[in-house]
Amino acid sequence: MFFDKYGKKEDGAIRFYDLHSMKTKILAVTIFIMCILIMIVTLFPVVWSFLASFRTIKDFNNNPAIIPEKFNFKLFASTWKELKFSRNYMNSLIVVIGSVISAIIFNGILAYSLSIIKPKGHKVVLGLVMWSLLIPPMTSMVALFVNINKLHLTQSYIPLWLMLGANAFYVILFKQFFENLPKELIEAAKLDGAGYMQTFIKIIVPLSKSIVMVIVIFSINAAWSDFLMPYLVLNGSGKETVMVRLFSFQGSNATAVEVLRAVVFSIIPPILLFFIFSKQITEGAATGALKG
Amino acid sequence: MVGKISKKNLFQKKDLIGWAIMLPSIILFAFFVWEPILESVNLSLHTAKGFRIEEFVGFDNYKQLFQYPVFLQALKNTFVYIFWSLILGFFTPMILAIIITETVHLKSIFKIGIYLPNIVPGLATVIMWKYMFGEGRTGVINILLSQLGIEPQVWLNNTMLTIPLIVLILTWKGAGATTLIYMASISNIDPALYEAATIDGAGIIKRVKHIIFPSLMPLAKTMLILQIISVFQILYEPLVLKQGGPNNASISMMMLVWNYANREFNYPMASATSVVICVILIILSAIYFKLTKSKED
Repeated sequence: MFFDKYGKKEDGAIRFYDLHSMKTKILAVTIFIMCILIMIVTLFPVVWSFLASFRTIKDFNNNPAIIPEKFNFKLFASTWKELKFSRNYMNSLIVVIGSVISAIIFNGILAYSLSIIKPKGHKVVLGLVMWSLLIPPMTSMVALFVNINKLHLTQSYIPLWLMLGANAFYVILFKQFFENLPKELIEAAKLDGAGYMQTFIKIIVPLSKSIVMVIVIFSINAAWSDFLMPYLVLNGSGKETVMVRLFSFQGSNATAVEVLRAVVFSIIPPILLFFIFSKQITEGAATGALKG
Repeated sequence: MVGKISKKNLFQKKDLIGWAIMLPSIILFAFFVWEPILESVNLSLHTAKGFRIEEFVGFDNYKQLFQYPVFLQALKNTFVYIFWSLILGFFTPMILAIIITETVHLKSIFKIGIYLPNIVPGLATVIMWKYMFGEGRTGVINILLSQLGIEPQVWLNNTMLTIPLIVLILTWKGAGATTLIYMASISNIDPALYEAATIDGAGIIKRVKHIIFPSLMPLAKTMLILQIISVFQILYEPLVLKQGGPNNASISMMMLVWNYANREFNYPMASATSVVICVILIILSAIYFKLTKSKED
């Protein structure tokens, strides 16, 4: 029965003993219906983009409908070919792989030094990292771009790869995780004569699979979704990522349905990733976000 | 005692190794995050031809900026953005968290669903919503509203609606993450509190009001500041939707930076605008730190 499950309800203001009253039962059902409505609002735009992509532009402009009459996958294939999206997917893949590797290594190592080794003066670095958490890199993007230009690194993937290696949020996530590792293990390694690098590779890394997983997922999504820096660095180089292509495509004379198809292409990878790792993602989002 | 002495000897080696290990990461942070902030200040005090700095002009760029009508419009818009993001964006996650917490059916699916918009890339989100708000009777929101007998609206072309609609899109995308944080916080409330309240005769509404709401307040303070900070980063929405229009009605501070940098290639003016944003953000961040500090005490 619908109400039986309330016996196991752990949190929230409605307790199992409230369910004896009819009023609470109605409230419980109302809340459930509200949740369904909330889901419809959150999912509708994404679902609609998929649905609208199956329509021709004539149908889209003239026929006030939401569900397409037929599901014609050929339209997707032709837009994909026209856009030469395979190349952009490849470019994005290259950016994502490099970014993830540098996000793990550089932020992880910085967090290791800040949380375990704690050399004299590390608090200065920590303070600077914390402040950069609150001043979004976007605000100094222009100066960064000018600097990248001075080093002749435009039209190259290198700045995009390395940029995610300096992410204050990931440093804080790593740092929290390392601080909660059992101190005895680290002390034991020290007594065995292991150096700091050895301790990191032999003790910390094997214990850190779960946090590495979270950072991998977050950084895949961040690198895939980033638009501003890839646009500044790669636009016109032939190395455009999916987002850069999407931006120029929506500004061209492409029709609404073609642009929506491009949108669908660009959101399929993150959505797949999300459904595979939804548990890690939602948990990571709830726990890590604020404790910095 | 002996331990203390040997520790002192180790100190220097430890420090050296610690710094050596984090040096590559520090260089990256310096290059990508810290130095650009200083470089922004430097650039904003000069004139430049393309990327080449030409001459020092002091605060002339700022003077020019503060007299630029579009800047004043962007500044004004920022406050309108903040106003709407407080109305739409601040309370929504709280209400969502309370509602989803109170259900027992499909809860994990609701949690996942509410977070889904967060992983949709920002640019794709905006383009998607641009077509959602299509004008005329074939725009999808208009189709839905016509079921309720409401006439087709022009949505984004209505200067009164542009900013609230942009905030609506931002809320759609961002509320899920905050909701999950609030839900985690509600889960940490000791159920005994509710039971005690029940014995004192408090109904469900009263329990929400007197137990759940107060427990969310410290978090909400932080969220409020973070929300305001995020307003200063609004760029994709006005850029894609209406190029900051109609008539600059939705132009944001970041969009102004974008226009200076990518349309006029005027990097000093773009930097001056960035610095103004940074100064505002540093002030807000200081408030934020103060609030979180007092939370811990």
